[in-house]
Amino acid sequence: MYASKIGLEIHIQLLTNSKIFCGCRAAFGDEPNTNVCPVCMGYPGVMPALNGEAMRMAYQVALALNCTPTEHTQFARKNYFYPDLPKNYQISQFGAPIGTDGYLDIEFHGKTRRVRISECHLEEDAGKMVHAGDMSLLDYNRAGTPLLEIVTEPDLEIAEEAEVLLTQLRRMVRYLAVCDGNMEEGSMRCDANVSVAPEGAPLGNKVEIKNLNSSRFVRKALAYEIDRQTDILERGGTVSVETRLWNENRDQSEPMRTKELAHDYRYFPEPDLPIVEADASFIAKLSDAQVELPQARMQRLKQVHGLGDRVVELLCDEKETADFFEAVVAEGADAGAVASWLTSDVRKLLNRFEVSLAASPLSPRRLAELLGLLQSGRIHGKIAKQTLEAVFTLDDDPERIITEKGWEQIVDPKALAELAVAVIADNPEAVAAVRAGNAKPLGFLVGEAMKRSAGRAEPRALQQALKDALSVEPLYVLDFGGAIGGERRPDGMVQPGTRKEVKELLAADPDLPDSIRFDEITLGGFLSEEISPRDWAQLVSAVRYRIEDSSSGVVISHGTDTLAYTAALLSWVFPDPQVPVVLTAAVTPEKAPELMRDAVRAALQLPPAVHVVLEDGTYPAVNLRFERVEADAARFRTWNATGLESEQWPGFALGDASADALTARFETAMRQVHIARIYPGMRSESLVRLMDAGYRAFILELYDTGTANLGHSPFGLRAAFEEARRRGVRIFCTSQQEGVVDFQSYVTGHALWREGAVPMGSLTTETAYARLVAAMVCMEDDDEAFASMEHRGSMKNE
Amino acid sequence: MQADWNTVLATAETLKEYRAGVEARDKDLGAFLHFSPSISTEAENPGSASAISGLPIAIKDNLAVTDFPLTCGSRLLEHFTSPYDATAVERLKAAGASIVGKTAMDEFGMGSATDTSALSETKNPWDPNRTAGGSSGGSAAAVAAGMVPAALGSDTGGSVRQPASFCGVYGLKPTYGAVSRFGLVAYASSLDTVGVIADTPDRLEAVFSVIAGEDAKDQTSIAAFSPGKPPVAPSDLSSLRVGILQADESDEPGVREAMTCVEDVFRTAGTEVETVTLPFLEYASAVYYTIATAEAGANLARFDGIRYGERPLYAENPDELVRLSRSTGLGDEVKLRILLGTYVLRSGFHDQYYGRAQRLRARIIQDMQDLFSRFDLLVSPVFPTLAFKLGRDGLTPYQRKQADRYTTVANLAGIPALAIPTGVHDGLPAGVQITGPAGGDYALIAAAKALHQALPPAAPATYPRIWS
Ligand SMILES: [Zn+2]
Repeated sequence: MYASKIGLEIHIQLLTNSKIFCGCRAAFGDEPNTNVCPVCMGYPGVMPALNGEAMRMAYQVALALNCTPTEHTQFARKNYFYPDLPKNYQISQFGAPIGTDGYLDIEFHGKTRRVRISECHLEEDAGKMVHAGDMSLLDYNRAGTPLLEIVTEPDLEIAEEAEVLLTQLRRMVRYLAVCDGNMEEGSMRCDANVSVAPEGAPLGNKVEIKNLNSSRFVRKALAYEIDRQTDILERGGTVSVETRLWNENRDQSEPMRTKELAHDYRYFPEPDLPIVEADASFIAKLSDAQVELPQARMQRLKQVHGLGDRVVELLCDEKETADFFEAVVAEGADAGAVASWLTSDVRKLLNRFEVSLAASPLSPRRLAELLGLLQSGRIHGKIAKQTLEAVFTLDDDPERIITEKGWEQIVDPKALAELAVAVIADNPEAVAAVRAGNAKPLGFLVGEAMKRSAGRAEPRALQQALKDALSVEPLYVLDFGGAIGGERRPDGMVQPGTRKEVKELLAADPDLPDSIRFDEITLGGFLSEEISPRDWAQLVSAVRYRIEDSSSGVVISHGTDTLAYTAALLSWVFPDPQVPVVLTAAVTPEKAPELMRDAVRAALQLPPAVHVVLEDGTYPAVNLRFERVEADAARFRTWNATGLESEQWPGFALGDASADALTARFETAMRQVHIARIYPGMRSESLVRLMDAGYRAFILELYDTGTANLGHSPFGLRAAFEEARRRGVRIFCTSQQEGVVDFQSYVTGHALWREGAVPMGSLTTETAYARLVAAMVCMEDDDEAFASMEHRGSMKNE
Repeated sequence: MQADWNTVLATAETLKEYRAGVEARDKDLGAFLHFSPSISTEAENPGSASAISGLPIAIKDNLAVTDFPLTCGSRLLEHFTSPYDATAVERLKAAGASIVGKTAMDEFGMGSATDTSALSETKNPWDPNRTAGGSSGGSAAAVAAGMVPAALGSDTGGSVRQPASFCGVYGLKPTYGAVSRFGLVAYASSLDTVGVIADTPDRLEAVFSVIAGEDAKDQTSIAAFSPGKPPVAPSDLSSLRVGILQADESDEPGVREAMTCVEDVFRTAGTEVETVTLPFLEYASAVYYTIATAEAGANLARFDGIRYGERPLYAENPDELVRLSRSTGLGDEVKLRILLGTYVLRSGFHDQYYGRAQRLRARIIQDMQDLFSRFDLLVSPVFPTLAFKLGRDGLTPYQRKQADRYTTVANLAGIPALAIPTGVHDGLPAGVQITGPAGGDYALIAAAKALHQALPPAAPATYPRIWS
């Protein structure tokens, strides 16, 4: 087993108006050599004059990185000849940098890791040399722009962590408004040091990697370098100390020509600049003016508003968005609603109109007003979306928009009751059917009433008005196959799809209130082992419709084999279903009537959530485990029940995609996710073949609390993990036993984590699989879906 | 009757006369690298306030003057024209002075005889076979030969004081930071100062008070000299406590005679005088050359032929361009000092040379502070010899560097020092330097004024004063 150590040197270009030592504009992309003067061109006789703004920003970053600020900071000359360096020395810092001994806590796969910052120092940037044919051209616009170099200790282990550090640092400097953090344009640059050594051995030889122009290249280049050094060591070789350049076109690093390295920089104190005093009052002033940093803000928003990790990360990625969020909440809007609107609909509109939040017609007050209208029921969800879009196109207030467009809903109970009475009077046949016990025509009546109101009636209130007028309480029973809806054939086998009417099954029950009406919808007609993506899409679509429709509850009959998957799926896509959704499954058709009655009772009594009713009681929808104990006896158990309570696994928003669209999304998602179980003799190549076949994510069942053979033998999984990382294939780890997989136990778990595997904590394989499918169905971006599979905890540093 | 310096640039007629006079004198001297006087509107308005209004002033060719050459005596910058003014020059212009030309110097200030210049070798106005000194030899000769009343020079290790002394005029090396270095082509930044060479202490003071003071473009400049803040100077010699450096028997007789002469003046005036020794003096040159060359190596790195300066017509690649520009553009003395500077800073030896020199420098600073807690000023020789002969009859390169020991102390300690003429010895001007504590520039000038009365300087016979 090998351990890798990564240290980063990150240069950030400070956003000062003028350059660090002269009055030239520090601007990117102007005509070559227009932002230059004798000072930044290194003319004879000129002297540097330190820009106080650069100094202030540098100290701000040092403080944000928890560095000890240097009281007397000094500049030094770093001597080397290069045509883009006007003085052929760079004014930098050596002995007394701006700040030292800091740290940055990074969040990776839900774990916190402290990366030590050895120092931050201020320096000037060089110009740019371009080769054009047989000429070399120089542009000195960039020469003399202020750079802050941030040097980390080699506390990172894997490429992905480096990428995370850069992302967090980028967010931080943007919050501080000292750098735009754009790696592609070079305003944030990264060099890295990598060394690999056998686990437990002293640090290996260090290789420096340069030319990492995006966080993606950083990840690729570092992963490549770790593999390269590991290969050398495994073959018994020695890694040579060198500097390598990342070649983005070839996806590999190449050694730099020896000529370009081994500089003796001959540092000495810069005699043209005095020692700069950063006294206590200067530091205190900076500390007082420090903005709340992203990590702290995320933490606070989570605590104060009870928001989920992912949402908070989306809100806090840009300070502008987080400020906006808080401004809307300050206007009195519900934090959860603001968060979900900002991270979905508002974000989509900003993208569509290609405008920033600040520049858009949407102000915090307008969004608060819109949410107020929604909350008070004056408009419903669809109209709210329409109104939001109108705010963007018309640049007007929501209140005025709905008034002018006549979009305001009818919520007045009296008006709605009148509407209901009128519709009942005009549709005697449907009414009769409802009164006879059939719920189906209720939907028709609601539709009629809605038409009469020209679509302006508030749907739920309208439904309620009709239900009240008819004195009915509709309950839907969805038949999703399984033995509960089937019949036992004379030969003893269960035949799907010939179920009797539930109504009849339950007719004899005197305990059920008269107002209940049933509507049976047959979805399956198959055994639960035959579930296809299309079936899940249809079920989800049907449940969504019943939840939004006039129901009081939804009961789903299901087979036992796959119940654990479907139950978890529904709980992920309906985290907040408004009405109880009850799944039930009987091991044998004989038990079906009794169980169905229990399920109906549960739907009338339990709080709105997804529940599972079984022969021996009610279960939560996640982490169910189906165990057949004897030929005719089976039972369900909830695994890791206590662990689940301490973990946060927020659900997803399904949106309003059509059943067909959902089918396509389920098919796409389920085609890419594979469940695999490790076993003695398992070969990496089997997983690699699956990757070849197009699988992009695995739910991998490990042993116990997350152990596996990670070695290099044909039966070790190392090759599979390496291949997965190379291809961007994700591996989510669960356990074959009732064990919490959090990779906290050192050695294998830690190594797995380092290889990029994501621990699923308490989640069972079925629940994790259902969650991943749900995430991929609900989210546009797979990376976002993958990110939602991670949960919080802290990673111990070695 | 001598004409007033204020009038020489007043009219086309006087200008013509002035130009002709200077050109005639400079033909043999080689003090100017560039001479282009023009009519001064300030000279036409004698009512203007400044004491230097309308004065023609020469500038050493390592100080930037807009649209004037800035060669630093180097082949590499032979055709370089400055796009900007040095702060000292800007202040002279603002006070109504007129810049008439640029004076010869050792290449980048590296020399003590103005003979490492790639462009002109300056002769001593007192004896054409002898050096005018260096590196500000052109400025000193121009003042001594009556071509300008004052000139700016630069003093890194004695480059204002030694030529001033060799030519029999006044030369001030101010406190480090008293005059902005912005626009002075750097040789050794922690030692470089912009200095003044003038025919009288009054003139020297007039020029110094104009150019001194804090400058935002040079953050190492100091506020003590901002306008309106000249420190109070003692009014008479008797109130001073004076240290006289113990004579070194190896110094030339003329040098020792000048020391005795000044000591006599002080004793006659009733000044408290005491002979002192400076134990660190033997290290001064070594410390100076270690630090100066280390900084010079970096300061001269910018002369690569890429953005300005002479360079080959064609080079295979940027590296070759830089190599060819430097090998053909820079002279031997400059190359030697760059190599030395690279040597003393190189990895593994940094502490042994550069680090040690810095520690010794700190010690010298401390010793000088201690000395000035007991004395108001120190009298010492400027150089162990009077103006030496040009060419092979002069000093060897090693002797010259050793001989910098008296002057380099003030640069290493960042304190002011003023060379004053004391008389003529065997047809050559002799003199001493007076050194004071940091910030004591005006006190030195006041002392020089008092000594001026007792020891009025002479003009060389071949170049009698035309203007005064
Ligand atoms: Zn500039």
